[in-house]
Amino acid sequence: MVAIPAKYLLAPAGSKVLLLGNEAIARAAIESGIGFASAYPGTPSTEIIEALAEMAKDVGFYVEWSTNEKVAFEAAYAASLAGVKALVAMKHVGVNVAADILMSSAYAGTNAGFLVVSADDPGQHSSQNEQDNRWYGFLAHIPVIEPWSPSSAYRLVKAAYELSERYRHPVIFRSTTRISHTRESILLEHDIPKNIKTKGVFDRDIKRYVLIPAHGRLLKKKMMEKWNRIIETEGREPFIKIINPGNRKVIIASGIAYAHTIEALEHLGRGNEYTIVRVSLPVPLPRKPIIEICREASKVLVLEELDPIVEQQVKKILFDEGIETKVYGKEYVPLNQDLDLDKVYRAIKAFEGLDPSETPWRPREPIKTEPPIPPRPPVMCPGCPHRNTFYIIKVAANKAGLRNPVFTGDIGCYTLGFQKPFKTQETSFEMGGSIGVAHGLSKTIEEPVIAVIGDSTFYHAGIPPSINIVYNKGRAIVLVLDNYYTAMTGHQPHPGTGYTAIGEKTYRVPAEKILESIGFKTYVINPMNVRESIEKVVEAYKAYREGGQVAIVSRMKCALQALRDARRAGIKLPVYGIIEDKCTGCMVCVNLLACPAIIVPEDGKKPRILPELCAGCGLCAQVCPFNAIEVIRPGDPDWIKAWM
Amino acid sequence: MTRYNVLLVGVGGQGLLTLGSIIGNAAIENNVHVTIAETHGLSQRGGSLIVHVRLGEGSSPLIPRGAADLIIGLEALETARYIEYARENALVVMNEFLWPPPLAKTPSLNTIIDEAGKRARLYIINANKEAERATGLVVTANTLILGYAIGVDKDFAKLLGGIDVVEKALARVFRGKALGLNKKALRRGYELAVSQ
Repeated sequence: MVAIPAKYLLAPAGSKVLLLGNEAIARAAIESGIGFASAYPGTPSTEIIEALAEMAKDVGFYVEWSTNEKVAFEAAYAASLAGVKALVAMKHVGVNVAADILMSSAYAGTNAGFLVVSADDPGQHSSQNEQDNRWYGFLAHIPVIEPWSPSSAYRLVKAAYELSERYRHPVIFRSTTRISHTRESILLEHDIPKNIKTKGVFDRDIKRYVLIPAHGRLLKKKMMEKWNRIIETEGREPFIKIINPGNRKVIIASGIAYAHTIEALEHLGRGNEYTIVRVSLPVPLPRKPIIEICREASKVLVLEELDPIVEQQVKKILFDEGIETKVYGKEYVPLNQDLDLDKVYRAIKAFEGLDPSETPWRPREPIKTEPPIPPRPPVMCPGCPHRNTFYIIKVAANKAGLRNPVFTGDIGCYTLGFQKPFKTQETSFEMGGSIGVAHGLSKTIEEPVIAVIGDSTFYHAGIPPSINIVYNKGRAIVLVLDNYYTAMTGHQPHPGTGYTAIGEKTYRVPAEKILESIGFKTYVINPMNVRESIEKVVEAYKAYREGGQVAIVSRMKCALQALRDARRAGIKLPVYGIIEDKCTGCMVCVNLLACPAIIVPEDGKKPRILPELCAGCGLCAQVCPFNAIEVIRPGDPDWIKAWM
Repeated sequence: MTRYNVLLVGVGGQGLLTLGSIIGNAAIENNVHVTIAETHGLSQRGGSLIVHVRLGEGSSPLIPRGAADLIIGLEALETARYIEYARENALVVMNEFLWPPPLAKTPSLNTIIDEAGKRARLYIINANKEAERATGLVVTANTLILGYAIGVDKDFAKLLGGIDVVEKALARVFRGKALGLNKKALRRGYELAVSQ
């Protein structure tokens, strides 16, 4: 066996390594020779660029975290125009942000391989919706490749680059959560290339790159030619594979549905009764293999996650050819949620006319207790600065007589503020939405409106709506929660951090400077100092009530990062405890803060702090009306440095 | 060949992804195909966490309810929540640790032990305490409970090539001091199981 280096993503050909789907995509992109990669982080896509950033210096290509998906797309697309192979990655809803340039890129085409990785989230594990981004392929006339596993993603990324270069056209590589976030043992096929092309040439071509209507009309014709050529000629491996030809029963399985199908047929013992068409190019679906296989078929089942994109194309192709074979699909598999072995097993049984409720697996009876097993939704971590800020802005609102404010919200860990006891997120639609929505509400309702947005989200899409508030005399307060990082996706740096994706020092763009220059009177607080912050926010609220344009920046490092920094620097943080004699059991700390480190023991009388979970932020000590919470294990004298 | 299904459950932050990674690397060392479906992002923030490990040929990543051969539970409420994934006569290895979510009322640990015991071959170990005793660090509880699970589940142990191969695989996941501590935790967990 080949020795595996510490950076296992750089292992030589012949190594077998355990790769996350996203790492497999990154490795394949490196093997394909990319010279440029950019992204804005978003689950489930983040680890692609994280992996690439880690390898960038070793291999010698360029990687960046861009301010948003549109910018990331433009940058990577430009690289491909200059002849440098490029990759841009984003989560499914990120493609909405980049959709404008996505459309144009198909008109102008590319000069080097260009992959747009869209990591979709069927099942909405970490997203506001589960849109099926294969539709973007139709909308933009860009072919869509979808793998069925991490190992197939590894091979198909390389094929997708070849496809992109063959047509000088962008390619959408559509992964999903269950591929991006599944690890698989993968045998590496190729070494890391030695000569990476990172510099190219921009050949001026106004008719191609300036999309005025007259140019666009001509470019569209060329684009349609490419599109039709893909439909006619790409119906072959690895994009379409026919398994077990010659059977009259046909299953067409796209993407991950193929992995489920293979195993379901094994369990059914009917693997040999079907011809299987494995689809990895669902958009546009190549016609020839579909016609060939379905012409003699007795019936066809199309299995795919989310929308019936392959199913509708199969039906159209057969209709156009006058083939009357009956095609089934979404009758048997749901339009929502991710697919799994169980659902596909039942679908095939139903297709066979068998009882789908009979399966080889028998779940245990769920455990029912009194009180029942409580749900455990994600919560703000112990020491989370958002908890401090949410507490502060609510207390300050009472003090300043700011009655019944509406808190519009955004996308990030702080979205968890929708829960009790804070309820400081009363909307959450899309990136940057808090501020635009706050503006509209401020024009139409009586209550004061506070837009609550994270730092990374502010840089991403919060600046134009902030300008809009001042320009159009809106009456909303903008509150930026600055914890130094894009924290939810794993602490990627952003323009306020002062570091680039590969850890190089760079300029800082503090949020308060932007807000001040727009015209907001901007108050900066450190929410670790609770009383001082409350005073400042009261002042801000008063200025707002007097008609001022007000913004607040609340700056305190993400607790997870502070804990990590403390551990690395060998700094001991303080730990708090509840002094039983002083505690009256009033439960203020429990009910106002909902900190996971504060628990109520079974007797239910007095709360207790779990020392192994306490991050030492001290919020509870500042909130306790009886001064019953104290440091029980002092930190090092300079412990606060870990939080700076 | 049907795949061997191992469900890892617990609370975000308990080291479930690392646990999955150790198992996966041991499988590679032992030349057994493996897929591990993880949970990332928001769902990781102190929330309920479930990781599907499937050993043997195939790429479908999720274990159907009622098909898990082994459940390793790092927390009692989460073990109870996902017990329906266990097949008949499945093994369940559970950490003797109940961590209530904020502001929630919970059943007692004993109630959970009783109920889980009716549904599976249940093994209980106080992995937090044993890990702290063995390495001084509660965070090695995940590796310790893996060692324990290898000790009680012969089929699982065989698929990973036995405790020595798993120990070797630790070097693919940890470096330096952490490697030594995790070796210690793994061995201690294993000893606790085989000395029973």
